[in-house]
Amino acid sequence: MNLTIGRFTVRDVIFGPETSFDDGVISINKEEALAFLREDDHILDIDIEIARPGEDIRIVPVKEAAEPRVRMDGRPLFPGVTGDVTPCGEGSLHATSGVSVLGVGKHWGSFGDGLIDMNGGGAKYSPFSALINICLVIDSDEPDRREQQKKNTAIRMAVHRFAEYIGSVLIEHTPETIENYELAPILDRTQAEMELPPVVLVMQAQSQMEESGYNDLIYGWDMNRYVPTFVHPNEILDGCLISGSFMPSSSKWSTYDIQNFPLIKELYAEHGKTLNFLGVILSNLNVSLTQKERSATFVAQIAKSLGAKGAIVTEEGYGNPDADYIRCIEVLEAAGIHTVGVSNECTGRDGRSQPLVVMSEAANALVSTGDVSQLIELPAAKKVIGELDALGRDGLSGGWADDEILGPSVREDGSIIMENNAMFCGDAIAGHSTKTMKEY
Amino acid sequence: MRKAVLYINQFFAGIGGEEKADLTPEIREGVMGPGLALQNELEDIEITHTVICGDNFLGTHEEEAVKKILGFLDELEMDIFFAGPAFQAGRYGFACGTICKAVKEKYHIPVLTSMNEENPGAEMFRKEFPVFIGGRSAAKMREDTKKMANYANRLMRGEPLSWAEQEGYFGQGIRRQIWLDPPVSAAKRGVDMLLKKMASEPYKTELEIPPKELVEIAEALKDLKSARIAVITTGGIVPVDNPDRIQSASATKWGAYDISSMDRLEAGEYKTIHAGFDPAAADADPNVIVPLDALRELEREGVFNTLYSHFFSTVGTGTTQAEAQRMGKEILNELIRNQVGGVLLVAT
Repeated sequence: MNLTIGRFTVRDVIFGPETSFDDGVISINKEEALAFLREDDHILDIDIEIARPGEDIRIVPVKEAAEPRVRMDGRPLFPGVTGDVTPCGEGSLHATSGVSVLGVGKHWGSFGDGLIDMNGGGAKYSPFSALINICLVIDSDEPDRREQQKKNTAIRMAVHRFAEYIGSVLIEHTPETIENYELAPILDRTQAEMELPPVVLVMQAQSQMEESGYNDLIYGWDMNRYVPTFVHPNEILDGCLISGSFMPSSSKWSTYDIQNFPLIKELYAEHGKTLNFLGVILSNLNVSLTQKERSATFVAQIAKSLGAKGAIVTEEGYGNPDADYIRCIEVLEAAGIHTVGVSNECTGRDGRSQPLVVMSEAANALVSTGDVSQLIELPAAKKVIGELDALGRDGLSGGWADDEILGPSVREDGSIIMENNAMFCGDAIAGHSTKTMKEY
Repeated sequence: MRKAVLYINQFFAGIGGEEKADLTPEIREGVMGPGLALQNELEDIEITHTVICGDNFLGTHEEEAVKKILGFLDELEMDIFFAGPAFQAGRYGFACGTICKAVKEKYHIPVLTSMNEENPGAEMFRKEFPVFIGGRSAAKMREDTKKMANYANRLMRGEPLSWAEQEGYFGQGIRRQIWLDPPVSAAKRGVDMLLKKMASEPYKTELEIPPKELVEIAEALKDLKSARIAVITTGGIVPVDNPDRIQSASATKWGAYDISSMDRLEAGEYKTIHAGFDPAAADADPNVIVPLDALRELEREGVFNTLYSHFFSTVGTGTTQAEAQRMGKEILNELIRNQVGGVLLVAT
């Protein structure tokens, strides 16, 4: 499979008379864009705001992010979600560099929502502070919109549709750079490639909710009702998988993270040099033990049948999913496959708690990307996109209405205290985190 | 100028060796012995006093010695406290650790000491405060005092401090996130680690998995028919107004709710506040998590004697092991006080 992504560095995003791309600047005709987004009857109220790196802006509650792109053959950007089910992984895309479309609640936050600070001491906690964020600030009529646990369907779908809408400005332009992702079929690889140690990436996507509408989707299919499958890494980079609405924010993969999955890119970079990248085993994170065991069984079998000698396992989550993560590492090690895990830790307010819910001595090679429970205190921002009260009021994991020792998460002067848990995709488990954990 | 006090034993004070090990605590103005090396490396910190005690005296009259030493310190202005270095000397290490612990608890100021890894005091006190990794003997005096001073200087100036390995003290079991400088992505670290592991080259895991800490399974109830049984859940079932304000995730609170006059938990009166699973089934019938209906039936059938008057509830999602342990101990006290013989623990 061969996928090319033509890249366009975006210097700025502005509102203007027509939606276009010129000399590194995306211009958006706001009225037309709003009319496009309002085609979804569930959207009651919507505004579009731009947040640029360095601006004194706090964005909360953030639900989803996607990278503006367009598929040059006219197929949908997210098959089964923004259009019919069509194959991913081959052909060419045009994509922005440095821009994301964010779905932000105009009022209501939920368990898995996050916060982004665009400048100051808070900026280092979310990779999205380094991007130009096109914020879709939405209120919807969905019946669960005031629940703590909600699907955020209208807001998330608006992000996916708008990423495609904005991406379409790139169709007529010539990319600055081309990223090329090509892997020959496993049995057709060169002698040199075949002599290198064969490696798989095991991705455990979020699927903990029994009811549909909350989980990650593959080609529009709920990852809870799924057993692990061998997937081409290009399919992941090309929009076959979208993020859901459940996992606490710092531990989740947004759709933007999935489109740019750093572990896939790193394995591609080493392919043919130090290893033979076989592909991705896409697994899930269901809650019952039988389902965990079943998924681990599938993963080990596929890895063995492919002849993998090495595996990297990464989980979209913490807490209960640690059981799937560690179990998967155990079964791969038991099959004689050298395995490395990539995830975050949750060590508690005092930093002394067991870092993963389940631990096993078989997990002897782990990369740690951050600490869910780190306390963070930040001054007020000049401007808030969304609604600051959502952090304390609406049950975001990492925020609270009140605490006997720490007081409320959101203070009257606009300053905040929170756990890293609610930093939007803050632990960058997909592989871009430059954080690690150290013992003090 | 910040003020410090140093604790040393009779030997390093130059009073004498084993024959003087029963020396009772005393305090002297200024520095001596190891204090000279330490003071030499300290910036803007002055060791104003030195406390001296015989190792045997502290080992055999711990309470008396600690009380007397704290009595001396009550009179002093003190921003930081040092003890040792104790090297490999076991009794001295115990004394340094004991005094540091008492000072930290009473005055809430930073305390620092230094010991060799072979010193039993290192393992005994490493989780309480920074115990610097010291040499085997006094030949390492300069190096060991320098490590402590270097840390103390930055600590007192409010400058950033590094992690245990970098600073040279035994890890206290506190894990925190840091940003790598220069930055290296987790993806790169993961792939590098895998390449090394596959090539059987040495690599360093970022999370060392300690040996398992298993809780022994309690003995089976000898006589279930005469036992009082309680039910505890981490599934967040509470009266609908959540009177104890138990958090929906990362809980630090638990509640006990009277069920003595009920045969089942009614929907609308009880619900779950647990944010880690779909609440629909539990809200529609709270008995699926706190099985009061089934337990009453078993009680009537005489399978066990009585159901305890209250059920206990907290939320398990994101709740740390430390908080869970504390809450468990608190609930256990109530269970023991009320002669509960067995517990049904319902997780979700």
